[in-house]
Amino acid sequence: MTLREGPRLRADALVVGSGAGGAPAAARLAEAGFEVLVLEAGPRFSASDFLSDEALMTARLGRTGATASGAQSLYAGVCVGGSTVVNDALCWRTPPEVLERWRREHALSELTDAAFAPFVEQAWADVHAEPTLRSHLNRNAHRLELGARRLGWAGEAMPRNVRGCARLGRCNWGCPIDAKQSALVGYLPRAERSGARVLADTQVTRVRVEAGAVTGVEALRLDPASREPLGKIRIDAPLVLLAAGVLETPALLLRSGIAGDGAVGRGLQLHSSAAVTARFAEPVHGYFGPTMAYAVTQFSDVHGHAGPGFMLENTAVHPLVTAAALPGFGSEHARVMEALPHLARAVVVLRDATRGRVEADAEGRARYAYELEPGDVERLRQALRELARAYLAADAREVILPVHGLAPIQNESDLAALDAAPLDPTRIAFLYAVHLFGGAAMGGERAVSACRPDGAVWDVRGLYVTDASTLPSNTGVNPQITIFANALRIASALANRGPTS
Amino acid sequence: MSDAHRRQALASLAALDRRAFLRLAGLAAAVGLLPSGCGDAAPALAPPPDLPLRFLTPRTYAVFGAAAARIVGPAGALRIRARRLDPGARAEAFLASAPTLASTLRQALLVLEFGVPPLLAKLRPFTALDGESQDAILHELMSSRFATKRLLFGGVRSLALLACYGDPASREWIDYPPGHPHTAADIEAAHHYLPDA
Repeated sequence: MTLREGPRLRADALVVGSGAGGAPAAARLAEAGFEVLVLEAGPRFSASDFLSDEALMTARLGRTGATASGAQSLYAGVCVGGSTVVNDALCWRTPPEVLERWRREHALSELTDAAFAPFVEQAWADVHAEPTLRSHLNRNAHRLELGARRLGWAGEAMPRNVRGCARLGRCNWGCPIDAKQSALVGYLPRAERSGARVLADTQVTRVRVEAGAVTGVEALRLDPASREPLGKIRIDAPLVLLAAGVLETPALLLRSGIAGDGAVGRGLQLHSSAAVTARFAEPVHGYFGPTMAYAVTQFSDVHGHAGPGFMLENTAVHPLVTAAALPGFGSEHARVMEALPHLARAVVVLRDATRGRVEADAEGRARYAYELEPGDVERLRQALRELARAYLAADAREVILPVHGLAPIQNESDLAALDAAPLDPTRIAFLYAVHLFGGAAMGGERAVSACRPDGAVWDVRGLYVTDASTLPSNTGVNPQITIFANALRIASALANRGPTS
Repeated sequence: MSDAHRRQALASLAALDRRAFLRLAGLAAAVGLLPSGCGDAAPALAPPPDLPLRFLTPRTYAVFGAAAARIVGPAGALRIRARRLDPGARAEAFLASAPTLASTLRQALLVLEFGVPPLLAKLRPFTALDGESQDAILHELMSSRFATKRLLFGGVRSLALLACYGDPASREWIDYPPGHPHTAADIEAAHHYLPDA
């Protein structure tokens, strides 16, 4: 099919992607007087479009991918506002241990705590991150909190970026009352008030580079309903910021012929996640209330903790995600599903040590080579074990681990079966990741990093990466504040120079 | 089919990833583990006449419906048999948003339907087996020592659960509160079930 050539547009700055990495940068640049154009592959929705339909909204607002082996699912928001529209609104400041590691292992000496903190605090204020009151926790969070308290573990209610939350339990399907301060209701309207334009349904296919400098992008305009290409457009700009997320940014660089001597695509890292389900005698109604709000930090290895490197966070009990995380099939699976109102759930957020790679296939589509290494699998086993212990301590009637073939756990001695079970990603019911990092990491050494410390792609003038692709490692905590902060840091430096045109 | 061919097929199973699944199906067909023709399944499993199939064939639609009925369990199976729940139609809708998965799913369903020893421990099509025998095949896939067979199970299971629990009809048997047309009603329902602030 020959696509119609559309108009040729231009801007001072193009921002590719409108989520946590793109929206703050767009706002910062627009407020500094840049003529900014934001290109978003997904559609634009507003609060009234966000329906109480888990399957419909999950498909409509995001994109599901998988690692090359097929063993692990990946999910990211693909709509105006990106993953900030579908995340759980959780806010953590960037751990100092992570910044220290970036300085030590990635030659990012300028990323001192003092240098990065102002951007973290700026993001914190911008998105209205605030402590979650205990009175806002639902019974699902209470169950995890009770278990942690009885076991003497450290834990806390997590700050969330909300304003007037009605505790509907629908954070992952777009907030229907705009209580969540996603990029859709915060940074992007700010950018638009300063003259930025947001072009939804626009899939960037290639970054154009001439004589070592970026000159713009080529893109496809998509039909909002069918998602089929309608035509091509070409946009010229002397400054291009890539923020299409880890699922797309590294692949976009690769199919544009920007490989950085092999550094682009390298260093993919995840927070691997799997959920544990517990059945209680009394109703929990875990589908209402903040989708996630309480974290066991006992096993974390950041923010002053010295654990093995995972967090345990309560998570919503909606049917699709619950069914996916229950092992097996048939009558036994259905028995637990039929007790849905009595179920509590929590998820392991594992700080993987594994490194993978984003590649582009012959047609330029991303491929995510990522094989969870044995040490991570064993830490995941430990995390599942501890989560089961927490629920047993909270008087759960039974705990259902997400491992095919394992019977429900009714007391601690049953956990011997988990210890003995063969465990690899294909035996886990719904191993997934929604926190993705790297693939275009910044660093102080050209040979091993895709971007300079200021986010600029090495050797391509005017081309920057501002999303989680440029973070050199995972963060050990929910990363949206870190992504916002890093985007603000990069964009602020550019804004201080003024429009280059 | 020679023993060498069978050994080659088995060795392939051990090392294949998801993307290589298409190659597996091709190999299986080449060495006689899969028939090349598809034909029709039982009429009770056929798609309704008013459902246009874009991604599934009538045969794979039937296999998916049969597998989904076993995966979702008795309450869901009852509704699938009564045509109050249509996993195939839901799968079609899902594949429209992820069309690149369609060929992999079709191949997986064909393996499930037509796979015979040593690929799968059955001699008849999946849709022709009784429920207990279908469960045995699904269990064999789930607990196989071959990662590719476990992936096949995981893929079909995921889509079956999505198709069944993504249908509002499932709310009645899992006691999941209905969605409301107005946000104010949703807020009222939420607060009815939440602990006192």
